[in-house]
This record gives sequence, C-alpha cells and structure tokens, in this order.
Amino acid sequence: MPEFVTLTIDGAMVRARKGATVLDTALELGICIPHLCHMPNVTAIGACRLCIVEVVKHGRAKVTASCTLDVQEGMAVRTNSGKIHRLRRNIAELLVAEAPNSKAIQDLAARCGVTEVRYPFRNRNCVLCGRCVRICSDMWQARALGFVGRGRERHVDFPFGTRPDFCKMCNSCIDLCPMTIIPCPRPMQPGEEYLCGLCGSQTSMASTVPETCVQCSLGKGFQCSRAVPC
Amino acid sequence: MIRVTEQESLVELRKRLAAERNAYRKQVIVSSGTCGEACGSLVVINAFRRELAELGLADKVLLRATGCHGFCEQEPLAIIHPGNIFYCHVSPDDVCEIVSRTVARGEVIERLLYTDPVSGQKVTTEAEIPFYAAQDRVLLGQNQRLDPTSIDDYIADGGYSALAKVLAQMGPEEVIDEIKASGLRGRGGGGFPTGRKWASCRAARGDLKYVICNADEGDPGAYMDRSLLEGNPHLVLEGMIIGAYAIGAKEGYIYVRNEYPLALKHARHAVQQARACGFLGKNILGTGFCFDVEIARGAGAFVCGESTALMNSLEGKVGEPRPKDVHTVEEGLWGRPSNLNNVETWANVPGIINKGASWFASIGTESSKGTKIFSLTGQVRNTGLVEVPMGTSLRTIVFDIGGGAAGGGTVKAVQTGGPSGGCLPQSKFDLQVDFETLEQAGSMVGSGGMAVVMDEETCMVDMAKYFLDFLQDESCGKCVPCRVGVDRMLEIVTDITEGRGRPEHLDLLEDLSETVAETSLCALGKTAPNPLASTLRYFRNEYEAHIHERRCPAGVCRALIRYAIDAEKCNGCGVCRKACPHGAVTGEKKQPHSIDPDLCTKCGICRDSCKFEAVRVF
Repeated sequence: MPEFVTLTIDGAMVRARKGATVLDTALELGICIPHLCHMPNVTAIGACRLCIVEVVKHGRAKVTASCTLDVQEGMAVRTNSGKIHRLRRNIAELLVAEAPNSKAIQDLAARCGVTEVRYPFRNRNCVLCGRCVRICSDMWQARALGFVGRGRERHVDFPFGTRPDFCKMCNSCIDLCPMTIIPCPRPMQPGEEYLCGLCGSQTSMASTVPETCVQCSLGKGFQCSRAVPC
Repeated sequence: MIRVTEQESLVELRKRLAAERNAYRKQVIVSSGTCGEACGSLVVINAFRRELAELGLADKVLLRATGCHGFCEQEPLAIIHPGNIFYCHVSPDDVCEIVSRTVARGEVIERLLYTDPVSGQKVTTEAEIPFYAAQDRVLLGQNQRLDPTSIDDYIADGGYSALAKVLAQMGPEEVIDEIKASGLRGRGGGGFPTGRKWASCRAARGDLKYVICNADEGDPGAYMDRSLLEGNPHLVLEGMIIGAYAIGAKEGYIYVRNEYPLALKHARHAVQQARACGFLGKNILGTGFCFDVEIARGAGAFVCGESTALMNSLEGKVGEPRPKDVHTVEEGLWGRPSNLNNVETWANVPGIINKGASWFASIGTESSKGTKIFSLTGQVRNTGLVEVPMGTSLRTIVFDIGGGAAGGGTVKAVQTGGPSGGCLPQSKFDLQVDFETLEQAGSMVGSGGMAVVMDEETCMVDMAKYFLDFLQDESCGKCVPCRVGVDRMLEIVTDITEGRGRPEHLDLLEDLSETVAETSLCALGKTAPNPLASTLRYFRNEYEAHIHERRCPAGVCRALIRYAIDAEKCNGCGVCRKACPHGAVTGEKKQPHSIDPDLCTKCGICRDSCKFEAVRVF
C-alpha cells in the first residue's frame, strides 16, 4: 500500500505518492514544468535547472529544481510565478544561445518564453544535458560514456577517447540526444543562426496557458509521458 | 609514547610535561609555517641549533619551531624568552649575534626589532606592535606556544583537557547544548549554527555516522585553515573527537588539499600521535568511546570545498556537487548522516568546552559570536592572518591592523569572502564584520579571505573579470547557470574591458547575475555573481566610463588606455627608449621623447623605468 502526502502545487491541493519528486507529480497531474535533463526512470541530477520551482517554507520562497525535490507533507510549490517564469526564460536563453541548431532546444526555449536572444550564438554540438551519459550508465549499465573535463572543457566522451568493447551499440544515446532533432528546414549554416519561426504558435500558448502541455517536439522525441505522438 | 588510559593519568602527564618545559628558563621560538619556510625559517632554525650547540647551551635553551604567528609580512620571526623580545626578518647571519647577545646576556638588538611605520619607533615586544594590539588571538595565539609535531607540547599547554572533561562529565546532549548556547556558527562561509547542525545529525537515523573536517581551502589569497591545521593540528583533532562524541560518530575524515603539504604532514603526524596516546581508536580514555580519523587528500578542485562535492570526492567519485534538497546531516557520505565542519569551526570547540559557552558568547555581536580569522592580503601594508572578534569594523581591520594601503595611497575597496564575496567601497568601511551585516551589503564573511584593493591602481571591472575568470575556470560544469551563465558574464565583462561594451550590457549583467545566483545547483554557483553584482552596485560609474566614454579610469584595461610622454617632464634621458622592447619610443638625446601608438603594446615598461614620472596613461 503506497503512502501518500498532500501538498499544494500552484494553489491546488493535490495528493502525491510519497517518495516521488515534485516534477514527476506535476507531470502526472497535467502540469507541464519544462525540463531537459530529466528522463523517466533515470536518476535525476538537476543539471539543466529548467524545471526550477518556488518552494514556500516558513513564509519564505526558495528556488530549487523540482526533479531532485521530493514531495513532502504540507509543501507549497509554485511552478509558474512571475519570478520563475523570468528565471526559466533566462536559463533557456542561455541554452538556446549555446546550441541554436536544434529544434528540441528551440522549442524548449520558445516554451519557456524566449523571444529574443541577447547573446551571440555559439552553435555548439552538445548542451551537456547528460541524457546520453545517464541512460548508458543507469539504464543499460554499460558506462561506455562519461563526462570528461571540468567547466569550459567539460564534454561527453568514451573512456580515453575510443569506443570501448562494452558499448552495446544500442543507440540510446543518439535517440535521446536533443541535438539530433534538427530545425525544420535543414541544419543551420554558420551565420544564419535564428530561432525557428514555426515555434510562434507554441510561444503564444506558452504565455497565455502556461501550465498545459503544448506537445512540444522535445516531448515527442524524448518520451515525455504526456505528449501525444502524431 | 605513553598511552593515556585514564583521566587521572592525563592530569599527571600534563603536570610532568609542563614541569619539563618550565625547567627551561630561556626559550627561542621561530615561526615556521609554510610562510615562514618560504622566507627561510628552516635555515634559521638550523643555524640556531648549531649555534646553541657550539656555545653549549643546547640543553639550557628550549628551541621551538612553531606554526605561523600571523604576521607573514615580517617572516621569519623569532621570539626570545625571557623578555618576549620580538625579532623580524631574521636571517641566518643574525643568529650568531642573537644567541651571543640576546639569549646569553639578555641584550636587545635594536637592528632586528620591528619598526612602527607610523611613528618610526622601534618596538621590543609583540604586544606593542599595532598589528597584534588590536587583535584577539584566541586560536592563533596558541600557535606560538607549541610545536605542531609534538603532542607533548599540546598536552602541556592544556590540550585534550576538553576531551577529558566531555568524556567524564558530560553527556552528548549536554555537549550539543553547550555548543548551541555558545552561538558558534560555521566558519566555512555559510554561517550555519553549529549546535543545530550537530543536533540534527545526532537525531538523524542511521548506525554509522561520520564527522568530516573540511580543509579544502581554495580561495585565492586565503590561508586561515592551512595555518590552523599546520600550526595546531591537535586542536582541530580534539574538536573533531568531541564532535564525534556528541553526534555519535565512529569515523571521521580530514579532507586536506594536496597543495598544503605541510598541513597534510602535520595532520597525519598528529593523527598517528593521538592514536598512539589513546586519544583516537578504541576505548578512548577508558570510557568505551571509539572513534578514529583518516586523512584524505584533495586533488585541488576549488569546487571540492563545497560539502556535497567534497563527499563525492571522498567516495572516490568525480568532485561534483549533489542536489542538497536532503541535507548532508541526514544523507551525506555514502548516504549516511555526516556532519561536515570547517577547520576553524572544529578548532573553536575545545575552547568552548574548557572556558564555557558564556565566555564564547561574550565575544562578538548579537548574532555572530566568537572570533574570526581573516587573511589580509593585497595592497595593504601588513599582510598576514588577523584574528578579531566578530563585529569589528572593516576600518579597524584595514587601517589599525593592516596599516592602510601599501604605497601610502588611499584604499578604494575591500573584497571580502574570497572569489564568492563582494567588493565593499570606503563608504561601507564602518560596517561591522559579521554574517548578516556583510550579506546585506552584498558581500559575505565567507571563509575569511580579505583582499584590499587600492585606489587608482585597480580597475573594478578588471577585478570582477579576474574573479569571474577564476570561477569560470573552477566551475565543475554540471549545471547550466553556472557553466554557461558565468561564462557569458565573463564574455560580456571582457567585451566591456576591451572597448566593445554596449549600454544594454549593464542590465543584461544584472539580469544574468540574479538568474545565476537564484538557480545554480551549489553554493559556488549561487555566490559566483557576487563580485560582479557588488562592483556593479558600488562602482557602476566605472562600468559606465568603460562603456560610454571608452575610458578606463584606473588605467588598467589595455584596450582603453594610451601611453604618452609629458614633454614638460621628460628630459630626454633615453632610459625608456632603451627599455621599450618594441622600439615604440623615439626621440633625440636631451629632447622630449614620444611614443608611437601603432607600435606601442601598452606593456608599461617605459612608465616603470621613467624616474621623472613623465610617462602618463590616458
């Protein structure tokens, strides 16, 4: 018999399974909190920080990632306050400026309300979300991929830079990579980095109906439990 | 070495050791911490040893190599008892004279005494030196009285009496209540009440609990923890044993960074000695309490000073912070309740037990109790370690103890709390140094690093750039706000210093620093924007000068400055012409020279070489 706790998410009193995270609870209940590094059934590391929420405790609000936060009795969570919206937009803006050449990241940014990017584009091939690393080590127990280096030098690589025998060639890493979903027409060439215009309709929904699922490409490609496959 | 198995035998041992030490009428104390060794203290000690042996005084004079005394500017230091005569900048050549005159006949050698820079007077004893006079050296003062490699010295000085008292008379809860009543707060930066942390770790479920001492001090210019651990390792160890008893821990770790070889050596030595004496291991002092400590070396990542990253590193994993939604006192090292405290926090514990919580609570301010060690570095006259009661004003620390700016200029700002702290301008110098006040002013006490910034010579934008560069380099790269956000901040600030700044950059920087501060995973990221945010708050005019006027008021940012020769002051001596590595200075002999801006790389050699201050920066 699972135990349950009661908490409020955006003012609504909800019942959640004890031990579940706030993000999973919210997604199950149909409240979409944008997220990138979180995947179902894989340990959350709280790296992308897109799933931030405000937790009100003793009258003070604290910003924290919801994927690593377990539900507690009497907890009050705000997933879409003005402050959270602004902070989330800023993080998404940083991400999309790093790697504009991905429809998944572009949609995610649009979902978070990014309309203009204030930084020069960098066009990287990896946003270090760690989905590939964790699916390889947590789900398949292969540990063929890992993070190498620190800070600016951090990147994903095989041990010692060559593909080891214990890589099972399962392709999970490629399936789950947000960078493999290219922008609609074709991959961007250097100098023509811009946000994909097709996200416009979703952007308007993101600001008017913030918590509903917008069936973003990220969800479809990333097995978001709520996205309807087309 | 005698194994101490009972309370009574510890008292007897102390009496005997103290009597042995008191039998020496004369003492020579040489400070030999890392700073002392760098200034040649080892050679001085050897010279003393040889000289004393030659004069047949070796068994009449006690020669003691101690840890750092704090006044690093004047190393190597030698103190001669009786008389408490304080000699600074002692070289091996002076030793013969010191032994023959001061040690043998009690004469004072004027030449080696400290000169008060304000009055120009020679000062004989330590207490009269302004640097020491304004301090309250509760912890650092003990460094002078003992050789860090000798447990006997520590016991003779009253060491391990707090442990004996705790084990004989107090229950674990009583110890925690005592620490709570003292108001001791974590010295590592966060300032969390230590008693509350211990209580929650004691209450946490689990058979196996750990205590950890965080000696992974990585702030540039901060070395309080190093000096404590290498100067008085048994004090830290005693604090840890008491903590372990209060919490119910069986194992402990001291995590020292490998860049501190002397601290590592002394800590290892201390653990071995304590084990041999029976202060560590099974059945401590015959009470049945068991506890042991291991030393772990850190590989030098700044982020490993963060508690969860340190625990990951101890477990043998990559030193990256973990989400802290469940506190480490409940789920820390190997998922077990772990109590992590800073070196200085542990070092405060034996004093509180011995002298009582009310003694400790009588020092300091309403919310911050006790003394705090700061390392005073940068453009200040007296660099070194400073221990003052909490609540001392910045002005006292910088001017009374530090002696003001090194070159005699005016002090423009103080950077407190290391790279994660902020810069405070002169107008804030009357603020009390305690956890709350500094945080409200946009800085923090942090671990206690304090760099003094000087006027005209230091560009605050460049300063912010330096710290951002450091943090960007030391960020583990796990979460987006810290990895990308700090990198973007650095990119924008670099643009500003190189003349590509745009007016909208300032708002963007403010927006970005708030995002990084609010959303980062660990404390490194959360405090990373502090240097930038505080300089933006107090020195916005400098940023604006860089952006709107394309000018660096301090003359530091190379892209925005121009070197020129003042024709009235230049007498055509040609020194700068010969010194310039790029041939940019031209001119006839005895005629005013000029600088070709196309060839000039703005290295500043001409300005440094000019004796007439004719080379100016615009």
